[in-house]
Amino acid sequence: MIWSAAKALMIRDLRLLWRRRGDALQPALFALLVVVLFALALGGEAQALAKVAAAVLWLAVLLAGLLALDTLFRGDADDGSLEQWLLAPVPLSWLVLVRTFMHWATTALPLLVATPFLAELLHLPHDQLPVLLASLALGTPLLSLLGAVVAALTVGMRRSGILIALLALPLYVPILVFGAGSVAAAAQGLDPVGALLLLGAGLVLALVLAPLAAAAAIRIALD
Amino acid sequence: MSYQNYVIAAYCVFAAVMLWDFIAPRLQVRQQLRAARLRATRVGKNRPNEFPLSRE
Amino acid sequence: MHPVVRWFHQLGSPPYFERFAARWAPIAYIAGLLVMAYGLYGALFVVPADYQQGDSFRILYIHVPSAWMSMAAFALMALYAAIALIWRIKLCEILAMACAPVGAAFTLITLATGSIWGKPMWGTWWDWDPRLTTELILLFLYLGVIGLYNAIDDRRNASRAAGLLAIVGVALLPVIHYSVTWWNSLHQGQTIRLFGQSHMDPSMLPPLWAMVIGTHLWFVGSLLARARADNLRRESGKDWVAKLAEPRA
Repeated sequence: MIWSAAKALMIRDLRLLWRRRGDALQPALFALLVVVLFALALGGEAQALAKVAAAVLWLAVLLAGLLALDTLFRGDADDGSLEQWLLAPVPLSWLVLVRTFMHWATTALPLLVATPFLAELLHLPHDQLPVLLASLALGTPLLSLLGAVVAALTVGMRRSGILIALLALPLYVPILVFGAGSVAAAAQGLDPVGALLLLGAGLVLALVLAPLAAAAAIRIALD
Repeated sequence: MSYQNYVIAAYCVFAAVMLWDFIAPRLQVRQQLRAARLRATRVGKNRPNEFPLSRE
Repeated sequence: MHPVVRWFHQLGSPPYFERFAARWAPIAYIAGLLVMAYGLYGALFVVPADYQQGDSFRILYIHVPSAWMSMAAFALMALYAAIALIWRIKLCEILAMACAPVGAAFTLITLATGSIWGKPMWGTWWDWDPRLTTELILLFLYLGVIGLYNAIDDRRNASRAAGLLAIVGVALLPVIHYSVTWWNSLHQGQTIRLFGQSHMDPSMLPPLWAMVIGTHLWFVGSLLARARADNLRRESGKDWVAKLAEPRA
């Protein structure tokens, strides 16, 4: 029951995404734009860019994910599917987890794939790339999970745009600190494993707790 | 180095924020009571009940 | 029924709470002011100047109690919110949301006085060190709770959503508290303990404890005053509010 529900939800999400294939590229395009803006604002000189490349890439991914957060539950809230979720025989938190995973796979995963390309634009030193990808691989699901809680809290609201960002950013700060910090540590020759392990631990904790919190938030919002 | 200005500045910040913290809820309560008073006059709650509930 | 249990249930009645808060808020405010006056007098005129920091350390008597208050208020807010979410007690929703502005005010005082103290001590108004950064995030969390509460029209749903956010955010508190232990921080490590030996000279402690107690009493007063306003707002259509608001003949 649990797995068939998950499969049904995943197939539905993929089908819906396929029908609007163009939209799937938007987060990646936004990240590219952010990279371009930073590069131009910093003067475009390779040495200066290389020093901040990892941080800018982390920010580009984080901000792109933040903008995509609104679409997590909005479609289903608008057409009433979210209420069907409340009535489903499977736990609401499970559906939230599946939905968040699909959202991550369709918005953050393309960003991860695009990262080496974006890194080249910013002249990121090649030895920092593996640590950067590892920190993003651990950090972006964490961002998606925490973002899901915030998106669930604001799902009923119409003019919630900036509010989602304001609510999510304080929760995002520790993830950014450890994620970008791990690459910074590696760049200085220190061991990044500590920060990466903390991200991993946070991810495990969030995998369990965030769907529960988001489910509670959906119940509050739909009451 | 004279720290006096810094100490005064810090204590002034404290006093200002505490003053705001004291005034804001008082204003809110006053606003709520005023709104209730106006609402009562609008609805005319001081009318006697002309049509009491009946079973017929 | 046990008198305390009965009193607890009575508090849940909005008109009773209005009378309770109207009576006790001023008492708490005055008590807080008196204790703080004693503490501030001691801080400014009685305590000797620090051998290292000179007179600037007197800012500690504002900065530290405010910092403790900023965290205590958030913890209390999360506790009230949890009770409100689990048992759906309306009063706890009101109290939880009332904690937010007061807590934010104390966080602001902490950041501002810390910055003013830091300029002569460390030579800078700000540093991105873990203690300062996490305290700043705490301010953003407070503002987020307040913002979310104001963004939703239905008061009960609004307080429950904002309360959930507070519960999620309470995980930040241990990070703030232990940030000076876990990281190499510019900010001072833990010198004053609630239990056990403090590293501060005993002659300097009494005004600090006075300020701690004073700010807590003030917090209670402010909490009751704000809860009173929110209570009146939620009950605004009811007869007892109209009766209360009647101009005295």
